[in-house]
Amino acid sequence: MMGASIRRRLVLLVLTSIALVWGVALVSSYRQATREVAEWEEARLAELAQILALLDQPNLTTLANARIDVREEEKGGEPGANDRDDDDALPRDALFQVRGPNGAVLAGSPQLHELKAWDLPVPAVSGTQDITLGGQMYHSFTLRDTALGHTVRVFEPANTRSDLVSGVASRIARPTLVALPVLAVLVWFSIGWSLAPLRLLSRAIRARDVNRLEPVDIGRAPTEVRPLVDAINLLLSRLLHSLERERAFTADAAHELKTPLAAIKVQAQVALAETETARQRLAMERVVQGVDRSARLAEQLLLLARLDVHEKISTAPLKPATVAKDALLANERNAQQKDIHVTLLGDLRAEIDAEPVLIGILLDNLLDNAIKYGHAGGSIEVAVQHAQDRVQVTVRDDGPGVEAGDLDRLTNRFFRATGNQATGSGLGLSIVARIAEHFGASLHLGKGIGERGLAVEVSFPAYAQAS
Amino acid sequence: MRVLLVEDDDLIGCGIEAGLRQAGFTVDWARDGHKAGLALDTTAYALVLLDLGLPRVSGMELLKRLRDSGKDVPVLVLTARGTVVDRVGGLEAGADDYLGKPFDLTELIARCRALLRRAQGRSVEQIRYQDLTVNPAAQTVEVGTTRVPLTSREWAILLQLLTNQGIPQSRSRLEESLYGWQEEIESNAIEVHVSNLRKKLGAKLIKTVRNIGYVVEKE
Repeated sequence: MMGASIRRRLVLLVLTSIALVWGVALVSSYRQATREVAEWEEARLAELAQILALLDQPNLTTLANARIDVREEEKGGEPGANDRDDDDALPRDALFQVRGPNGAVLAGSPQLHELKAWDLPVPAVSGTQDITLGGQMYHSFTLRDTALGHTVRVFEPANTRSDLVSGVASRIARPTLVALPVLAVLVWFSIGWSLAPLRLLSRAIRARDVNRLEPVDIGRAPTEVRPLVDAINLLLSRLLHSLERERAFTADAAHELKTPLAAIKVQAQVALAETETARQRLAMERVVQGVDRSARLAEQLLLLARLDVHEKISTAPLKPATVAKDALLANERNAQQKDIHVTLLGDLRAEIDAEPVLIGILLDNLLDNAIKYGHAGGSIEVAVQHAQDRVQVTVRDDGPGVEAGDLDRLTNRFFRATGNQATGSGLGLSIVARIAEHFGASLHLGKGIGERGLAVEVSFPAYAQAS
Repeated sequence: MRVLLVEDDDLIGCGIEAGLRQAGFTVDWARDGHKAGLALDTTAYALVLLDLGLPRVSGMELLKRLRDSGKDVPVLVLTARGTVVDRVGGLEAGADDYLGKPFDLTELIARCRALLRRAQGRSVEQIRYQDLTVNPAAQTVEVGTTRVPLTSREWAILLQLLTNQGIPQSRSRLEESLYGWQEEIESNAIEVHVSNLRKKLGAKLIKTVRNIGYVVEKE
């Protein structure tokens, strides 16, 4: 089966329209010609009647016994030439009858006796009349001549299939039938030529591959093709952008994965070369730390990849404060090690529509950061606030905070703020940002407790009871 | 041999530091570009090991600054970004060698030694001076065919003098090559170590330059 083709469809539509218009024109011309011919024949009959009215009796009698062939036109032509075209069904002899002022017949064609029309009553007024004589339709014309008092009646068999009309019709139709195929060829090529920019465009797109994503340029595109070219170029530029981001991410990820591996290898080799047991032990402990770091990084990268897939995550109403309590418990040991005091406050019954495991990861990352980068002996606040249709979950610390210039870049993947000594992958906050985005929450970074440290505020849409 | 290690990652940094110490180097470890810049301004290092992904001042910037100021200390670049573009960029900015993470510690040390050799104009690791054979990689010294045991301090002073033959080395210069940031400098230590070296290797080897320091004359 052939696919839809604009060219084929256009040619078909154009040719059908032309044929239809021509057909209608042909039919109406045929009708017009028929009418004209009928009028012409009527006029000829009237002329004949006027001539007959002027003749005297002896001439009329002679004429009556001869025949009046109305098809004089054929006599001049080549013999037989017209017979081919001639489709008149009957002899075209005109019959007549002339009556005197007293109504007596002066002369008449003898065939009128055979047709039982000799004694036909004469209409009172002059004019045309169609009558049936011997099963055949006749045009008749009646003329009352006031000068001689003669009444003339002329009969002519009705010309139902005039070769004049069919001749005119065929003469109009013939060039049309020849023109249609010629037109089809012309239309076919014109449309093909007009569609050339589309072929050019498809060739230009086919030439693209993943490594060549610069905009398509096909020169001066027609206005109908321009939007298509623009749309394709827009798509290409978006594709290029996302590919570049993907490449940057892969490079960053490779960098981050190699760093702990390098650390593990170096520490393992130091341990192998070391002769002193205490130093060897220290190096081995660092190997274990490196492995833990690699594992955590791999976990975070996998989580980010899963969040990027945009798969639909089923949500349920949950209380952030409940999830926060679990996160607090999980991070309790780390906080105690740095002697950091963590408090949970605010509206503990506020609800949001989200997924508990992901919200757990979000809060865990925020708490982990706050403990890792906070001062020893400091404090951390986890606050849940319900204001109108938003629920804000905020984690504040009183640590060294982040330089104003770094705040905007904090959620960038693999970004680590200047001067921090704690180990981290630089992925924590970008994971928080992705999870927040997933549940329609906005992220705001600002000053922490007492204008010191860092505050991360995640503002969720509040869970609305089905109403 | 005092080297500067510039690395922001704790685990890698302390590993390299320990490895270089085992190999007999004196190591200063700077955790960011700013501190590294300060160290380079104030101390003469035999070699710099530079990580490119540094906070505050990037490794590449530090390298450019170092070369712009006219210092020709050999620089070995360490980085996890090991694409050809990165490598070429690093070498063109003035690095002498390039090592991608994760690397082998023995390879790192071998490359450090090779860079030092080249900077000192030697093509073989062994240094021969009169009847003395010194092998920096194995940290051994032989007089004739007899191996002479040296302490790490004595070893470092001998190496500093032998690699700068004909150039008198001041006491503070020798101290600099001997002690890292964390180490307390002992007073009169240099004199003690030099006299010990003279006892072990012969009195004529190290000459005293009055008011300046010590020198091993050119062969």
